[in-house]
Amino acid sequence: MLAITKSIALQGLEGYLISIEVDVSLGMPYFEIVGLPDITVKESKERVKTAIRNSNIELLSRRIIVNLAPANIRKEGSVLDLPIAISVLMATGSIKANLNKKIHNILENTVFIGELSLNGKVEKVKGVLPMCLEAKKLGITRIILPAENAEEAAVVDGIDILIAHNLKEVIEYLDGKIELQSPSKKSHQFDSNAYDIGFEDVKGQEDVKRALEIAAAGRP
Amino acid sequence: MAHLGVLFLDELPEFNSNTLESLREPLENNLIKINRMYSSVSYPCNFMLIASMNPCPCGYYGSNRKECRCKPYQIRNYINRVSGPLLDRIDIHIEVNEVKYDDLNSKQKPETSETIRQRVNQARELQLWRYKKYNIFSNSELDAKMIEKFCKLDTNSQKLLKEAFEKLDLSARAYTRILKVARTIADLEFTENINEGHILEAIHYRSLDRKYRYNKT
Repeated sequence: MLAITKSIALQGLEGYLISIEVDVSLGMPYFEIVGLPDITVKESKERVKTAIRNSNIELLSRRIIVNLAPANIRKEGSVLDLPIAISVLMATGSIKANLNKKIHNILENTVFIGELSLNGKVEKVKGVLPMCLEAKKLGITRIILPAENAEEAAVVDGIDILIAHNLKEVIEYLDGKIELQSPSKKSHQFDSNAYDIGFEDVKGQEDVKRALEIAAAGRP
Repeated sequence: MAHLGVLFLDELPEFNSNTLESLREPLENNLIKINRMYSSVSYPCNFMLIASMNPCPCGYYGSNRKECRCKPYQIRNYINRVSGPLLDRIDIHIEVNEVKYDDLNSKQKPETSETIRQRVNQARELQLWRYKKYNIFSNSELDAKMIEKFCKLDTNSQKLLKEAFEKLDLSARAYTRILKVARTIADLEFTENINEGHILEAIHYRSLDRKYRYNKT
């Protein structure tokens, strides 16, 4: 059976929408990731397999092919662990999302981001903010991501951020058993007097201070 | 990593010249492009460059107190390690002399960071307000058309700038940068138009490279 989920990969600071297509067919047990993955993404198959097993789900011994489309862009990092795991579980039938029309619609507009640890915990990843901005641009309405990244992602308005602590939670969410939490919005504020030395401690050198003042005033 | 921050390079001439020249592109475009075999990646890189250097190998060239022991060619070689095009992209040059005894000893408290910050913030708010429609935030981002619009000079200032341009042999880049710096100085004083004083101060911040490169040595 075929299953597709979506995620975002970064190239520099530009995000790309990635479709993770998984096909499961009868044959010798086999698990392969294609679509120009780098070494981290290649290794993700071991993390995905173990995380699934340790979430008390039996992974059937089938021939599993994971394709990361578009296949010509190099995919980096461990961001794709979670979406690969979800795709695999849907393709093997452990998540019944394809049968459930409502969840099927949800998946159309949802992006999964997260690294998996062997015990099924969803670990934090780098670069969540540009990913969320790109997702918003592409009209994605929902992002499921690690708890540690939630605060960073919450800065982006107009998109639902859902926190996933572990793989099991995401599976139950897709099965309609539980709801995932959203992070609370925090306003960021800088403490402007965080330094105990200042220009008042510099004796003389008035022209240098003046130059610094001008430089500071004319830049964003 | 210095995006929207400050990059401070101490002892500028001691840096590898390739390293320094590679700063030119990000300084001009606020972008850094990295080309690899399969892909090219650009990162935003809008930063303020601050650098410091000695005037010569011994450090006393131009000093009021001690004599410089360097030979002219040594001074020239030292200064020339920082290329003209790079210096051209630096808006404000300033010579720093030794602190005088009186300054060290003086009881007068220098201005606090807080008062300076207030002035700077005021100037920046003024810029934000002025450029609201133009999708930029500060004087440093003005393009040629906007300079024409926002950096109007009276006849005296114009004459002054023309003279400086010809005498100091300034580049076109230096010309626009002088106008931007003058605009900022005027903003700091909360005045609407750039006057002679502002232009003079801005020109003063440009004269360093020419002086060392051609006239004195």
